[in-house]
Amino acid sequence: MSKEQAYYVPHGTYWPIIGSIGIATLFVGFANQMHGVEWGGSVMALGFAITVFMMFGWLGQVVNESVSGIYNSQVDRSFRWGMSWFIFSEVMFFAAFFGALFYARQLSVPWLGGADNNIYTPELWNGFKTGWDAIAFTTPGATLQSGVEMSVPTQLVNTWGLPALNTLLLLLSGVTLTFAHHALRAGHRHQIIGWLVATIALGSAFLGFQIMEYGHAYHDGLKLTSGIYGSTFYMLTGFHGFHVTVGVIMLTVILYRIQKGHFTADNHFGFEGVAWYWHFVDVVWLGLFIFVYWL
Amino acid sequence: MIEVLIIVVIIAILIALGFGLMGLLKGGSQGSDKMFKSLVTRVALSVALFIFVIFSGYMGWIQPNAVVFDAPTIQAPIQK
Amino acid sequence: MTTTHDEHHHGPEKGLMRWIKTTNHKDIGSLYMWFAFTMLLIGGAFAMGIRAELLQPGLQLMEPQFFNQLTTMHGLIMVFGAIMPAFVGLGNWLIPMMVGAPDMALPRMNNWSFWILPFAGGILLSTFFMEGGAPAFGWTFYAPLSTTFAPDSTDFFIFAVHLLGFSSIMGAINIIATVLNMRAPEMKLMDMPLFVWTWLITSFLLIGAMPVLAGAVTMMLTDRNFGTAFFDATGGGDPVMFQHIFWFFGHPEVYIMILPAFGVVSHIIPTFARKPLFGYSSMVYATASIAFLSYIVWAHHMFLTGMPVAGELYFMYATMLIAVPTGVKVFNWVSTMWRGSMTFEAPMLWAISFVFLFTIGGFSGLMLGIAPADIQYHDTYFVVAHFHYVLVTGALWSIIAATFYWLPKWTGKMYNEKLAKVHFWWAVISVNVLFFPQHFLGLAGMPRRIPDYSLQFADFNFISSIGGFAFGASFILLTYIVIDCIRNGKPASARPWEGAKGLEWTLEPKAQYHSFNTPPSRKLIEAESQNS
Repeated sequence: MSKEQAYYVPHGTYWPIIGSIGIATLFVGFANQMHGVEWGGSVMALGFAITVFMMFGWLGQVVNESVSGIYNSQVDRSFRWGMSWFIFSEVMFFAAFFGALFYARQLSVPWLGGADNNIYTPELWNGFKTGWDAIAFTTPGATLQSGVEMSVPTQLVNTWGLPALNTLLLLLSGVTLTFAHHALRAGHRHQIIGWLVATIALGSAFLGFQIMEYGHAYHDGLKLTSGIYGSTFYMLTGFHGFHVTVGVIMLTVILYRIQKGHFTADNHFGFEGVAWYWHFVDVVWLGLFIFVYWL
Repeated sequence: MIEVLIIVVIIAILIALGFGLMGLLKGGSQGSDKMFKSLVTRVALSVALFIFVIFSGYMGWIQPNAVVFDAPTIQAPIQK
Repeated sequence: MTTTHDEHHHGPEKGLMRWIKTTNHKDIGSLYMWFAFTMLLIGGAFAMGIRAELLQPGLQLMEPQFFNQLTTMHGLIMVFGAIMPAFVGLGNWLIPMMVGAPDMALPRMNNWSFWILPFAGGILLSTFFMEGGAPAFGWTFYAPLSTTFAPDSTDFFIFAVHLLGFSSIMGAINIIATVLNMRAPEMKLMDMPLFVWTWLITSFLLIGAMPVLAGAVTMMLTDRNFGTAFFDATGGGDPVMFQHIFWFFGHPEVYIMILPAFGVVSHIIPTFARKPLFGYSSMVYATASIAFLSYIVWAHHMFLTGMPVAGELYFMYATMLIAVPTGVKVFNWVSTMWRGSMTFEAPMLWAISFVFLFTIGGFSGLMLGIAPADIQYHDTYFVVAHFHYVLVTGALWSIIAATFYWLPKWTGKMYNEKLAKVHFWWAVISVNVLFFPQHFLGLAGMPRRIPDYSLQFADFNFISSIGGFAFGASFILLTYIVIDCIRNGKPASARPWEGAKGLEWTLEPKAQYHSFNTPPSRKLIEAESQNS
């Protein structure tokens, strides 16, 4: 029975059903939490814990199988296709939010202000002015349709301060990661660890400064409830921050695996997948920096 | 003009990133080389773009965003 | 616990755990098909409720709010619970066999793609029992109906859509990896059967479109609960922006539901016409062009939102373009039948009626795509008739056709041909009684999604409802035929259809649990290719 099979097909697995239960529990808890149900938060935490357990168990099993050498090059390629198209779906997810940003900035906000001969604005609200940022057009005390009072910021985020610094940090992390990548391809294991640690440190510093920036912004009254500016600002940077967090975790796992002696100069798909993910997150930030803060 | 240039460079970065993805898909030493080279391109372009944006901002060619649109002063005729 | 793992066990496990733990594409395909069928019956029951209320003018059976809940859930369940999972199920069952692979490329993830669905479906259906009832804003969930004026259960609906999206994306990734990586080494891309081609292209549509839907519902979620203003003009947002984002997903979505159907029909018609498929490569290119165009025509759903005239013109002309590749397909099917030695077994009857009825739906779509005319048709029963002609007599028809066509390969047994023909004529007549009068209702101005109507619409609504009940009842017969086949069917041969081509027919009558452990030879692939 130990005949080598041409294809690799894994046996039955419990992880998916555990994952489904975890993620469904997480969402049901979250929905109840938002509706003010008492047990919502704890159910949500439970669901999160189950999901994390599943991720560790499932991915751990895959890593073990990979290290024990039962995967052939075909399985490797399947993983490549899977990871690549997964990241592409992430690109499209961000595209939805960037699309919302462009639509609001270029079309709906100017239309509100009477652009493109929108004759109703001067007719109905003579002298009404609008602008991209919330300061320009929000009257204090205005209430959104959802019943939430809008928050009017006293000032916007200063592009020259933390955002510029953060862009620098994240771009540098891309550079250090490229050095790590080069070292791995050249087989210099010590250098990889150094450069990887630098990448993780830069990524973590980015996250720290991002939290600081949120603190400043909140202090100045720029909140999720600050109209479309606040909405797009926080949702774009927030989802990006989430992806950086995931990226830092994945890089840490890669660092751990390198210390255990995994990967070779020719065969390091785990590293490549995570590296590409990091570059993707990096480019998203560059886009954010330019479109949210500048243009 | 500056804006157009910036957007063109962003598109170039995205293309380089896309080539990296294709290298990742391909695998093997050829794909690995392709991926590494395009990622180096994308890092170099990104750093250059960042420096350029900061410089343009410093020179006042572009302003951090905060645009106010005025309602048109000439009212379009409306049939009463 | 009976799990003593044999390192290379070849049969399925015993008991319920087989289905929960399975990584086998055939098991998972069956799970998908049964899930989809269950959802089809549930969604169909909602439709019966809708038609019962519309049997006569006036409010008889239900509150208008409940009626709206039924229309909403009918649409959501049918689109996300029935049609899409059924196609993924067909893909799971057939693609590995058609490309000569032992299984899907990522079998564990394949299991997860399925096992998310019952949870998502459960959460979606549970909204009926919540305070304020289920979502009642239509399957398109336009803001602000779905943000400002929706019940609390909407948040559960949002999460259900997230889960369904995960499932679809993982399924699509798996199919891409399977087709491009697990394909038999000797099989070139242009040797692939059309069902594989159409599913490959559909997967790219799914990966491009589903994340955008996730983005849209995420914005809804934060607008509802965290005070953002994406779709709220008070804060500088725009409700119309929701429609743009939704239809950027929604238009590719309708092709996600029809491209695999094209694939199925392109298998069945050559088989029963006993001729090679006419224009194989033009079929492939037409599918790819339809997929590309589907991304750039979304705003034809929004001609009445007050978009600039230039926008209306662009979206109208781009929409018209889609008729070209679709026409190529229809003419290819007809040319395949031309001078063929045709026989009319059940799958062929379904496939021919697909071509006929889908074309009706396609032409009414063309009418709707003309911006000035759409001002009259918009949101009337004409739209309802149009999309039921493409989704019921298009997508669902092909799923039923595929079920009869491949049932012998799945079960190793033949279904009852006589009963299947009775079922076909019953369904095809009743479905036209059901949906054809709705064209007239729409042209006369009856709006969609209303529980009551003016008296002049009464006659056509009565006819439509009678057709609806008859069509609904036909599914009892379908259930019987399928179960009867599984239980008592006569043994089928390995290639039960005389003219059938494809690697799947080279397997045993009931495809073995693990097929193609060694890839098929070039000679076999060439002999079974549609492109020869």
